[in-house]
Amino acid sequence: MPTQRLFERIESIELQQISKKYGSRFAVESLDLSIEGGELLILIGPSGSGKTTTLRMINRMIEPDAGNILINGQNIIQLDPVSLRRNIGYVIQNIGLFPHMTIGENVGLVPKLEGWDEIRTTERVRHLLDFVSLPPDRFIKRYPRQLSGGQQQRVGLARALAMNPPLLLMDEPFGALDPILRKQLQKEFLEIKKEIGRTIVFITHDIEEAFRLGDRIAIMDNARLVQVGAPEDLIFEPVNDLVADIVDTDRKFKHMDTLNVKDLMTPLDAKYILDGSMDARNAVEIMKDRDTEIGIVFENGILIGKVEMVNLLKHEESHPFLRDIAKPMKVFAPRDSVATALSEMKKSGEYMAMVMNGDTVGGMLVSDEVLLKLI
Amino acid sequence: MTGIVREIVMLWEKHLLTMRTIEHLQMFSTALTISVIIGVSVGIFIYTRPRTASPVLNFLNILETIPDLALLVILLPLLRLGTGPTIAASVIYSILPIARNTYTGLKGVDDQYIYVAEAIGLSPRDILLKVRIPMSLPLIAGGIRIALVFIMGVVTLGGLVAAGGLGTVLQNGIQLYEKDVILLAGLWTGILAVILDLGAGRIEKKLYERYGTWQPHR
Repeated sequence: MPTQRLFERIESIELQQISKKYGSRFAVESLDLSIEGGELLILIGPSGSGKTTTLRMINRMIEPDAGNILINGQNIIQLDPVSLRRNIGYVIQNIGLFPHMTIGENVGLVPKLEGWDEIRTTERVRHLLDFVSLPPDRFIKRYPRQLSGGQQQRVGLARALAMNPPLLLMDEPFGALDPILRKQLQKEFLEIKKEIGRTIVFITHDIEEAFRLGDRIAIMDNARLVQVGAPEDLIFEPVNDLVADIVDTDRKFKHMDTLNVKDLMTPLDAKYILDGSMDARNAVEIMKDRDTEIGIVFENGILIGKVEMVNLLKHEESHPFLRDIAKPMKVFAPRDSVATALSEMKKSGEYMAMVMNGDTVGGMLVSDEVLLKLI
Repeated sequence: MTGIVREIVMLWEKHLLTMRTIEHLQMFSTALTISVIIGVSVGIFIYTRPRTASPVLNFLNILETIPDLALLVILLPLLRLGTGPTIAASVIYSILPIARNTYTGLKGVDDQYIYVAEAIGLSPRDILLKVRIPMSLPLIAGGIRIALVFIMGVVTLGGLVAAGGLGTVLQNGIQLYEKDVILLAGLWTGILAVILDLGAGRIEKKLYERYGTWQPHR
């Protein structure tokens, strides 16, 4: 049964004096927040601070006890919850793809329910799979259990975009992925975000992710909204210690001058190692089994470079050898200074580099993990 | 060796075992079809109206405790001799396992899938048809498999009330005290039951592979 297209574009979302109580405890208390059309707003805060409850009230999965939520000036209480949700894309950490449906059926489920015919649905599904870098011919007939975690998360995003919703709600979508995979998906998501230009509300507990993706960041603590603003507002004018604590990047970098690459590098996990004589199709299978989306290519003990799943899938048909398509990586020596290494990586937009001691592998330098180790 | 085979063929033909087998399977499939339709409907009904679940299941449990012979005799005055009471009794026994498994299956679907289904805009009806029922199919098939065994038993017993089928052959054998017939018809009925159960088991396994839930790794 087709539902109404409620809004083509989000002009504004107003949360006015929203409260929600569970028992005697407030999950969200007197929250005022306005979200501008087209922005990516991050909700961040300790667990139990009310961010998920807030998000779920926007698509009426939870009804507030008090207060109003207006989308484009219209109170959402007057809207049918099913049509409202079909106008809002939703992505969660544990993805929740239906195990009994193929990837194609999962992504095309809501369009089908909206009465789209087979051809239009398939066309839309193929377009979306392409959009999230999963070649449709390879993936459309597979089942979720045949996909790696990162691939499933991409399908989750494709499903959320099925009805081309002007608003996207994302609840820690990359939270369950390992740090390297998370970086990779964030990078791709930023490009997707540029392309689609829709309004996104995004929950995370990772401040790096918040700074990387967010136009504005709303910090929640103890059921209340503490501060909302652009990243620089939060850094330069934090309203309280909690905000300063969450965003205070200075402290993290305080000792960095004295540290060497070897102090902060990560050992190279064998699961990332691939041989240069392997062909792309083989590599894709192996990476899927190991649940990685990136591989470091060596041949005869010599570092060739790195390959990414997304690129491999594009090259797969022509069966190239990894040694021919691997991209060069930055290489540092264990004694190099971390500060220099990080700034070089940042300049070239890379999030990982190899640490080599002559010809032997020292480890990997992953920008995220370096920051985590400094905290 | 050939002597035994010839004897079996003779007995088979004398007692019209081919025809009896067909009668038997006809009763069996009619009873099974009706049971599945009623059982699944009852399961869905009590799932959508949770208050009715416990009284309905209790009532079906009581029916289940009536000995099958007694049930056949009770149904005789209502449905007369023939296939009627046998099919009715088979169905009465089979509703419980099918309805109970359907109900348990529908209720047992992992909440995370229901939550996601709601969040992406499925109506309660869509959730039932697209998520709950398909994900319960393996369990429903399990219930049907139990029913299948019940029905095989009751249909065989139907020989007592002139329902035809292999039960009649057994009954004749007992009346005339012909051990060979009893042995042959008994074995054949047993083999049929085992084959049908194996078939059902395979279907159940396929459904598990296709619709069984799995947990995302990590």
